[in-house]
Amino acid sequence: MNTATLALSRRAIRLQQVVLASLVLQLAGSDLHHPLFWGVVVLVLLTALKLWEAKKPADLQRSALAELLCVGVLAVINPGLGPSLLQVCTALLAIAAIVAQELGDVPAGRRLLGQMGRLVGAAIPLMLVLFLLLPRLGPLWQLPLGHSGSTGLSADLDPGSLSSLVRDPSPALRISFGNRPPPPPAQRYWRVLVLERFDGRRWWASDPLGRRSAQTASGQPAQAPVSGPRGPEQLWLVEPSPLPQLPWSGQGRPEEAGLRIDPQGMLMGDRPPGERRIYTLVQTDQAPAWSLRLPSPQDLELPAGTNPRLEALGQSWTALGSPLQRVEAAQSWFQQRPFRYTLQPGVLPDVAPLDTFLFGTQAGFCEHFAASFTALMRAAGVPARVVVGYQGGDWTGNAVSVDGYLDVRQSDAHSWSEVWLGESGWGRVDPTAWVDPARIERGLADSLRNRPGERALLRLGPSWLRELDRRWGGLDLIWTRWMLGFDGPAQQAWLGQVLGPWQAWQGVVLLASLAMALVGGLGVLLLLERRRQRTTDRWRRRLDRHLQPLRQLGLEPAAGESLGAFCGRVALRHPELEPALVKLEQDYSRLRFAPAGVSGRGPRPWRSPGFALALLVRRLRLSWLTMHHWPHD
Amino acid sequence: MASAEGFPDRLIRARGGEELLLGLRNLYILPTRFGWLWLLSCAVLYLLGINGGSNGPLLLGFLATGLFLICLHLTQFNLQGLRLRCGEPVGGFCGESLRYPLTLISSVNRFSVHLQVRGAPGSTVVSVRAGEQQASVSWTPTERGEGKPGRLRIWSTAPMGLFYCWSVWEPSVPQLVYPPRISGPVAVVGAGEKSLGPALGGERANGSEDWSELRPHRIEEGLARLAWKQLARSGGRYSKRFEDPQPRHGLLAPHPEVPWERALAHLSARIAQLGPGAESFGLCLPGESLPMGSGRAHRDRCLRALALARP
Repeated sequence: MNTATLALSRRAIRLQQVVLASLVLQLAGSDLHHPLFWGVVVLVLLTALKLWEAKKPADLQRSALAELLCVGVLAVINPGLGPSLLQVCTALLAIAAIVAQELGDVPAGRRLLGQMGRLVGAAIPLMLVLFLLLPRLGPLWQLPLGHSGSTGLSADLDPGSLSSLVRDPSPALRISFGNRPPPPPAQRYWRVLVLERFDGRRWWASDPLGRRSAQTASGQPAQAPVSGPRGPEQLWLVEPSPLPQLPWSGQGRPEEAGLRIDPQGMLMGDRPPGERRIYTLVQTDQAPAWSLRLPSPQDLELPAGTNPRLEALGQSWTALGSPLQRVEAAQSWFQQRPFRYTLQPGVLPDVAPLDTFLFGTQAGFCEHFAASFTALMRAAGVPARVVVGYQGGDWTGNAVSVDGYLDVRQSDAHSWSEVWLGESGWGRVDPTAWVDPARIERGLADSLRNRPGERALLRLGPSWLRELDRRWGGLDLIWTRWMLGFDGPAQQAWLGQVLGPWQAWQGVVLLASLAMALVGGLGVLLLLERRRQRTTDRWRRRLDRHLQPLRQLGLEPAAGESLGAFCGRVALRHPELEPALVKLEQDYSRLRFAPAGVSGRGPRPWRSPGFALALLVRRLRLSWLTMHHWPHD
Repeated sequence: MASAEGFPDRLIRARGGEELLLGLRNLYILPTRFGWLWLLSCAVLYLLGINGGSNGPLLLGFLATGLFLICLHLTQFNLQGLRLRCGEPVGGFCGESLRYPLTLISSVNRFSVHLQVRGAPGSTVVSVRAGEQQASVSWTPTERGEGKPGRLRIWSTAPMGLFYCWSVWEPSVPQLVYPPRISGPVAVVGAGEKSLGPALGGERANGSEDWSELRPHRIEEGLARLAWKQLARSGGRYSKRFEDPQPRHGLLAPHPEVPWERALAHLSARIAQLGPGAESFGLCLPGESLPMGSGRAHRDRCLRALALARP
């Protein structure tokens, strides 16, 4: 016992210092351009100041609460598996600091841990119930995430832009194909941007934000999820990117209502760019609508005189009948010349850059080949456009995650062409494959195996680290699948499956589940507490059980009172209990003190003195009730 | 945003009696200021989660909500079932902080149980172990007689400080409150006294025939005070120090020229000063007279008479 003072728990202060250190560490690994970043920096600073000037327990409580809020904001900025684990630890430490302060007199670490375990353990079922059953409101406002500093594809294609991106080995996206194998390497094209505008050097999209197509599609959700037989699903996890376009294979339809496919075959998200996305695409066999959409005049746009030799070459193929023949002419032209695929293509001049590439250096990266081939096709009168995205990806087998996934890195950034082939629609043509088939078949890193100088530019790291990274990526995918994938619509879909016709009663189910989780958690806590305080003495436990009926009469052994004295005291007040009490005392003494073998087995329950005592007490209580409720007249 | 700590107890009908069993009917619970802030933070985390499109803040917010709901019950359970019983309070002086004893009886362990008498500056924190445990609360009486500490608030915010659970009780066993100790003149009547009128205690005069202690001998003290017997026994040279014994007090009575309560306060100070020592004194009050005596029991009897004295 002590008089309450406004003492601060040193353990609570130390715990909060650790929490602050962890928050600073997480801030150091966060994206500086995230709109919430500087807000959380200020919050962490204010929390540190609050902790610094804390003078009473309430100050410590509030600083710990502010730390929990910081963890919450950081969870928005860094939703990956590693940061999430750190965030869980940080949140638990902040809660432990609150409990440590509340426990007061410098509690033992074990006691603090036990208390924490009980509290959090009892709260977790409630958390899960709320997470699964509480309806999610839609976003009330959008975070202005457009100016993210995350790396990735840019909205236009300038010679040299992709070759710098491929030196970034960070993850770009992961694709899970369920229990099916991934497509062969030559088919792993993941389109993001379609660029049809061209000024002689640079390619860009006419509608990079998809606003026009959104307006046209607003009245007719042609690409919205449709009912019908469900094909195999692909789960896509995309790292933050500065573009609103999302990668996809060009086949199938999105599962989420917020995603749509624009007329040029770009997958547009409903959320601003700059955050991690996860979505599901359902594969279909039918040809996608975008691939049959007629070309526009922009698909033939070629500023005259910007690359005169290229134009002359393209025009020489106009005599060929079909677009396919012109493509084949271009292929043979490329293959007959010593074109070289390289990460160090050098700088192209501002004047006639593609002419310099085609007829001069003849060394380039995928963007050089795609840009010059597309321009050649336009000169030959074939509508063509450049597509930017990713090609390839490492397949991480089923050993790590249940389904396995395709790991696509920024270094897999690629560009290729699409040409209008008449009745068959838009067709993919990758001129890089004509020059360096290994790039497509084996990926960029493998294709550079014989060129260690260029391979070093990819900064791949040691193989064991890459393997570890891949395994971690698998776990991260599983985590993200649940963490990001279980959003409002996914929750409703899951509830529809689980509750079926009872989904309309979701509120009642939520309340009932909350009540059950609460009662269950508290019940377990109570049992644990009783178990902790239960005496290990078997005979004493039995005696306590036998004396339990007497508590109903308000008779309890006082502290330090012997059994004999207690029985004597009870017998004085209730003489009718005396025989049972004497028997109880004798039996207890015999069982407790007699040597082994003498006491033998205990009496059967219905013959035990405790049972007899309980019977007598019940009779006594009944007579007491009778006396009080039906008094004699 | 209501604060449970400042909830006016006058709105609650306090239970009296020698014993209080804390239960559903006499326990009240409200969120603390921190609890309200916590709830607000849960809402902020929920908004962060749905707007950020991330389940991390949602899970954290739901965990915080779960803790809130659990703590609502655990804070109540921390007090529910606790039995408080009045102890046997020892008398004390008016205007001074007194300890009012209580016995806490519990079948389970409880922690951070606060006990506070209304108006007292601080609370007593008790970590209750299963079984019986003694505790006490401090209170400062303002009137002599058989005083009661008044409303006792039993509260707890454990385990997380989110809720403030409390009960109010007025222990009925009175505590004897003696008049305040204020030094001043008292009347000394009856036989045995050396001086009549105002006398100050704690004085000892030199010059008695009986010596009280020995001190190392100094030459300037002369041989008259030398302790010859000790010199002969041990060879050490000591001087006898002579002191008069405490003058015997007579029957103490309220000074006639001092107002009644003030006179009682002077008597209270004098008797407390005389203390449980060997000095003998008596007390003469209107309608009651305590004969000469000494010792703690006698002193307590006198103080009790003072506490209950009527003019």
